[in-house]
Amino acid sequence: MLTALILLPVAAAIVVALIPGRRREIHLPLGIALSVMPLALAGYLFWVFEPAAGFQYVVDVPWYEPWGIAWNLGVDGISLPMVVLTTLLVPIALAASTTITNRTKEFVMYTLLLEAGMIGAFLALDLFLFFVFFEAMLIPMYFIIGIWGTERRIYAAVKFFIYTAFGSALMLAAIIGLALTYASQEGSASFALSDLAGLDLSVGTERMFFAAFAIAFAIKVPLFPFHTWLPDAHVEAPTAGSVLLAAVLLKLGTYGLLRFNLSLFPDASVDAIPIMAILAVVGIIYGAVVAIVQPDLKKLVAYSSVSHLGFIVLGTFALTSGGLQGAVIQNVNHGLTTGALFLLVGMIYDRRHTKKIADFGGLQKTVPLLAGFFLFMTFASIGLPGLNGFVGEFLVLIGSYPALPSFTVIAALGVVLAAIYLLWAYERVFTGVPDKEENSVLSDLSGREIALLVPIAVLIVVIGLYPKLLLDKITPSTEAVLDRIVEQTDYTMPEPGRIGDVFVAGDE
Amino acid sequence: MITPPEISWVAIAPDLALAIGAALVLLVDVQWKPAPRVLGWLVGAILAVGAGLTILQWEQGADALASGDTESLVAFSGLITMDGFAIFSRFVLIAATGLGLAAGWRFVVSLGRRGAEATALVLLATTGFSLMVAANNLVMLFLGLEVGSIALYVLAGLARERRESEEAAIKYFLLGSFASAVFIYGVALIYAGTGSFEILGIRQHLNDFVISSPAVIYIGIGLVVAGLGFKVSAAPFHTWAPDVYQGAPAGLVGYMAAVAKVAGFAAIARILLTAFSDLADTWLPVVAGISVLSMVLGSVLALVQGDVRRLLAYSGVAHAGFIMTGVVGGATDGVLFYLAIYAIQLVGAFAVVAVVSGPDGAGSSLEEYRGLGRRSPLLAGAFTILLLGMGGLPITSGFVAKFGVFTDAWAQGYQWLVIVAVIASVVAFAFYIRVIVVMYMDDAGDEQPLRVGPERWVLALAVGATILWGIFPSSLLDLAADALPI
Repeated sequence: MLTALILLPVAAAIVVALIPGRRREIHLPLGIALSVMPLALAGYLFWVFEPAAGFQYVVDVPWYEPWGIAWNLGVDGISLPMVVLTTLLVPIALAASTTITNRTKEFVMYTLLLEAGMIGAFLALDLFLFFVFFEAMLIPMYFIIGIWGTERRIYAAVKFFIYTAFGSALMLAAIIGLALTYASQEGSASFALSDLAGLDLSVGTERMFFAAFAIAFAIKVPLFPFHTWLPDAHVEAPTAGSVLLAAVLLKLGTYGLLRFNLSLFPDASVDAIPIMAILAVVGIIYGAVVAIVQPDLKKLVAYSSVSHLGFIVLGTFALTSGGLQGAVIQNVNHGLTTGALFLLVGMIYDRRHTKKIADFGGLQKTVPLLAGFFLFMTFASIGLPGLNGFVGEFLVLIGSYPALPSFTVIAALGVVLAAIYLLWAYERVFTGVPDKEENSVLSDLSGREIALLVPIAVLIVVIGLYPKLLLDKITPSTEAVLDRIVEQTDYTMPEPGRIGDVFVAGDE
Repeated sequence: MITPPEISWVAIAPDLALAIGAALVLLVDVQWKPAPRVLGWLVGAILAVGAGLTILQWEQGADALASGDTESLVAFSGLITMDGFAIFSRFVLIAATGLGLAAGWRFVVSLGRRGAEATALVLLATTGFSLMVAANNLVMLFLGLEVGSIALYVLAGLARERRESEEAAIKYFLLGSFASAVFIYGVALIYAGTGSFEILGIRQHLNDFVISSPAVIYIGIGLVVAGLGFKVSAAPFHTWAPDVYQGAPAGLVGYMAAVAKVAGFAAIARILLTAFSDLADTWLPVVAGISVLSMVLGSVLALVQGDVRRLLAYSGVAHAGFIMTGVVGGATDGVLFYLAIYAIQLVGAFAVVAVVSGPDGAGSSLEEYRGLGRRSPLLAGAFTILLLGMGGLPITSGFVAKFGVFTDAWAQGYQWLVIVAVIASVVAFAFYIRVIVVMYMDDAGDEQPLRVGPERWVLALAVGATILWGIFPSSLLDLAADALPI
């Protein structure tokens, strides 16, 4: 079933490729229709998923035995929400791309291939396979930014590519090193996560490998000193590209830290807590402060991503139940809200052909629906109780506090700053009197656009009001990660480290 | 009294087929003046016979290797072997020849009456290199090298109406002869130090005796590596490559570069890993140094090239460095796999160059590729896949190849080399990506689609191989793993 989940988008891309190029009008609708199939499958997977069973629907077919590489897939509570999120956002992103009129066919194909790569990376349990997906998805994204982006698209695309490729090159070296260490210790080759996680590594080696993986993922997240590619990529990318980049691609970084760094290098992870926490908090504050002063709406949302993703990293490296749960759920939340914000910015851009905040004002009067949705997403992003952002950030903060009290206090400031930059942006764009001629003649959301936003909004409310739906699926897996760390290292969890359990139990 | 060497027709059957074929092509041409079409079928048949005989050799060699019977694998009193390593390399050479000729066929046809000469030269060059990869004797190896190289010098100058082509030929010839001289001097020193020309004899000698003054041998190894390093365009012996790649007729450059690399690296691997495996501690650092220099220099210089052929030449230097990491890794299968993959991609890439800049054209400025994605989407798509394959993107065979040699080098204890190599691969991506940017993200000045001739078959095969062996590498990897030197 998991194999089908990866191959469906590939098959869809091939189908689209077979449609002759002159039948322009059917490429996009066909792509959307086909991309609903993986969504249906992922939805079914979510339905039948057994939280307590660890990795399930495991596929393990040898790929090239002498090297020990395998087509090894499996889904657990950490990857499941990401897969569902990916499959949900791809049709939405495609449907939001009606403004793309040149080379539609290629655009649809690249988006579908990107989807296959993203799903594959989330499902891979073999490091070699993971690396293959991790790298392979660069190419479609690179083309999406580079061909359909705005003025400085080529610069942004190349920067995106080189940054990410550099990080993953180091990771490749570490993967080779890990696999060879395994081969010399056990006498047989393997790249399976479960095999490599049990390795005895010397402290120095483990830290080196940890660093290689962490840099690769930190670039992807992006954490503070590695973030400079992100605003460029986001601003230049077309709407669909921004949505998928923010909502899914970046999550590979946080997902990778959680999945690979924590389970492969438990000792080094514990040792790295202070460093990662500092980077996370710096990212939270820095991203927020920079976001405040952005004159460009899209760039503002991009920097808000830097800030929000800092929370996820903080939660991950707090190494408490609440922190990890919060990190996973915030992965989903950020994907939904930021994805929606990028959609909305794209919709505004389609109407006004500008993203400069100063060009707007009083849009509330002319496009009340759009303004309403924007405000809603803003609230979700800030973390208004009752909406999803609150659940995630609350869990992260409450989970991090016992472990990293001072960092958590500073990070909490990020929430306030988020309110400042988002609401202030809202105020400048939407409130007041439309004093510019162009702003008073805009058309409000069409039925199609509303149809794109409503599913996201519904999910935001559902997760906000009933997080148990997700937490039940997530918690056993995050607890398993924690148990492993506690078991393998002399790390003692701060009291009350398992507060997340209390939170879930109290919910019942 | 001199005893005549015993003749083993099996061992040289493919080479014989190619050599006779070359003669046949010339005779047929003189007698009947056939149409290019007929000539094409004739060459195709010759190559098919050569490839078929190579496969037969493989069947025979595999049994003997499996039974550990090295005696029967050596023929002509120790001059020639037919071990798996030789046969695998030979097959790659013949395949590259077929693809290369198809890619350059429009150029051959454009030569008119001289087309048959060009074809014969190509066949002779392959014969020479094919003997070189099978040589168990350094003198034999030198003979093969010279037969192949001299044919290549002439091929580089075939488009003699153009000054660049002449310049390329002269440059290639002068520097190449110098490198050959260096190589043969090294062979002489090795003979002085070990008393043998034979790969197996040298190994035996080093095994049996403690060498009291090894300096002669060390210098000999150094000179041999330098001479072969020239042929594979490894830094710092690479300076000829960009000019020759740029000046030689577009259609044939891919073939010339591919066979020289395959044969050169096969020889390096055989000499270092078989004959001098006992002295590994001495030559490993040197080879690692050449490897680093090639990777860094090749990748960085390729970044600033404005001409696709020069870019491919410098990327070839970088690839020489990557293959050297495989030699450092000490496993022949990694090297062979890489060579096979790279040879195919290189021929494919130059097939694109031949289409874009015309079969005999000189130079191929990056400007000519502007908007190719719109002009000829399939051609641009094929070039993109080949470039990404050379860059080593996962799901292309280039990644599997790189992964293989890097893993070997890491296992050998050269972790730092692997780290330099992965970083060099990222830099390498930057220039492959540059070409892709120009093809896709800029608008074309000229919307006229390009005419693609027989190159399309080359491209289809090369792209197919790049993707298929990227996803299912095991078929070729298994073969390469069986292709052991004696």
